[in-house]
Amino acid sequence: MSPKISGKTIVFVLFIAAVLTVLVWWIVKNPVSELTESLPGTDNRVSRADSILEVINIGEHFERFGEAPPALSETWPRFRGIDFDNISKSPVKLIDGFNGRAPEILWSYELGEGHAGPAIYKGTVYLLDYDEGKRADMLRCFSLADGKEIWRRWYRINVKRNHGMSRTVPAVTKDFILTIGPRSHVMCLDREDGDFLWGLDIEKDYETEIPFWYTGQCPLIDKGKAILATGGKAMIIAVDCATGEILWETPNELGWKMSHSSIMPYTFGGRRMYVYSAVGGVMGIAADGPDEGTVLWSSSEWNHSVVAPSPVCLPDGKIFLTAGYGAGSMVLQLGVENGKYTAEVLQEYKPKDGLACEQQTPLVFENHLLAVLPKDAATLRNQLVCVHPDDCTNIIWSSGKTSRFGLGPYMIADGKIFLLSDDGTLTIIRPSVRKYLQMDQVKIFDGHDAWAPLAIADGYLVLRDSKRMVCIKIKA
Amino acid sequence: MKKKKTFNRRDFIQSSIRASLVVSVGGIGGLALKNGTKKDWVWQIDPFECNQCGRCATECVRNPSAVKCVHAYDLCGYCDLCGGYFIPGAVKLDTGAENQLCPTAALIRKFIEEPYFEYEIDEDLCIGCAKCVKGCTSFGNGSLHLQIRHDLCRNCNECSIARVCPSKAIKRVPADTPYLIKGTFTRTTDS
Repeated sequence: MSPKISGKTIVFVLFIAAVLTVLVWWIVKNPVSELTESLPGTDNRVSRADSILEVINIGEHFERFGEAPPALSETWPRFRGIDFDNISKSPVKLIDGFNGRAPEILWSYELGEGHAGPAIYKGTVYLLDYDEGKRADMLRCFSLADGKEIWRRWYRINVKRNHGMSRTVPAVTKDFILTIGPRSHVMCLDREDGDFLWGLDIEKDYETEIPFWYTGQCPLIDKGKAILATGGKAMIIAVDCATGEILWETPNELGWKMSHSSIMPYTFGGRRMYVYSAVGGVMGIAADGPDEGTVLWSSSEWNHSVVAPSPVCLPDGKIFLTAGYGAGSMVLQLGVENGKYTAEVLQEYKPKDGLACEQQTPLVFENHLLAVLPKDAATLRNQLVCVHPDDCTNIIWSSGKTSRFGLGPYMIADGKIFLLSDDGTLTIIRPSVRKYLQMDQVKIFDGHDAWAPLAIADGYLVLRDSKRMVCIKIKA
Repeated sequence: MKKKKTFNRRDFIQSSIRASLVVSVGGIGGLALKNGTKKDWVWQIDPFECNQCGRCATECVRNPSAVKCVHAYDLCGYCDLCGGYFIPGAVKLDTGAENQLCPTAALIRKFIEEPYFEYEIDEDLCIGCAKCVKGCTSFGNGSLHLQIRHDLCRNCNECSIARVCPSKAIKRVPADTPYLIKGTFTRTTDS
């Protein structure tokens, strides 16, 4: 007689089987099998090394079109002017307003796309253009008064459009002109006749990684020496302008990289130094003495992937550092004891919380800082603001939501701020530490990305957008 | 003697029927004319008004949202350091998840040639959160922007995102031009 299987048993067995099936499925099933990992390298990027293979004969071509222009008296010899503060000390009186119409454009030139700014030396304008037809970095020399092109020196180099191509301001002294091209080719010329003196391929010689959107560092000539931040195998180097001899190299032990920022000379604690805001950190390098070229102090607290504004060094040892792309700002306090320098972080904040800049370097006016905030500065975006360095998050005044600007340059001349907006609108502002005082505003030209630094001398203001440089006379 | 014409019940009914026919034919004709000339309207985001608050991802009745990121390639800078792709202060500019801004990896980065990279949107993954749009608008050319995709939108005329949009960027636009794509659509004085 076969055993009788009850209905309850069958249900129980089926239940156990179902539970086991679910359990097996649960154990075996990979819940993330349909997800894809985001791993490095899926963009198929290749090495940048190919560009270094290109042979560049720096300064190989020269063309002269005319004789030296009539000499004028004033200079704007480099990025941020004579005193590195973007303030003209010229006694020439400038206009307070435009009387309802734009000043006459005295002369104008179509340029290769970029943001390179001019330097002026006694009636002569120097601009490192990129000639898109010849595919060449081209130092062009113009007469300030009438715009006639005097000469140009150039060398072929392949630069692709990448938010512009050119973007540096030459350094000019009585004897020399020093330029850095988009791919960090340094060229030193005799100022008067444009004779080639020497060249340096920083990318090749120092294994430098060119910053995004090309080199933005403006060169510095200090006491006949070219001071250049290379990154790569050295951090900062000094080159004899007359001979091209490398005088010293600051070792780059921490592997910091070249930024778009420019080297700023500074004197503190009885020492002259060069302050540089690199990608990786900020440092002060001895500018003279037996230890010239050595690191006096450094801080890697300030470390951002894109740094365009230059350090603002204040008399009391504070150094204001700022950068765009969400970085924000930092205030360092330098100290010195028995010749040993220290750098302490006083403030650090995001752009929505205080003074910050993306491209331009703030102005110092009556011990206050003035700058246009970036687009990620929340409600104060694109406004001109004023802060005191003791607390850069305390906005003393702002230009208001009806007076917003862009990424364009600003400078002080004849006690007025001249501020250029991206679209070619020039605004005159009375600098103040109490409130925003707009004097006048006019559109100079239909511009696009007018970001290059301004240059002024003898009452002539030279400005540009991404494709055109113009000169206007703003002498009162 | 002229016989006076009387308006009897039959005349009344006949006149009423005629009048009804005239009214009906006129009404039908009017409705047809109205329908022939009437514009249909749909909801769309004005990219110049959008402040990238992120509500498009959470307020839409569709899940995932009918709002997607679109890319105006003609405005893009094709940058290596893309503010729409990378988180601010990214450790490395590579495609590792830790460096990406997009929470669903919907933005695909492809190397073209030095120094250009192309950024493409995988709409199946995009949730319309606008994180990439915010980055691109703040640090780039603003080529990434949000649009309501009409193949996904219910067009119910009661857009739940429009109710909460803090910048009133969601507007009614003619159905025959249902998209406001940057590049072809530029800011007007009233937008």
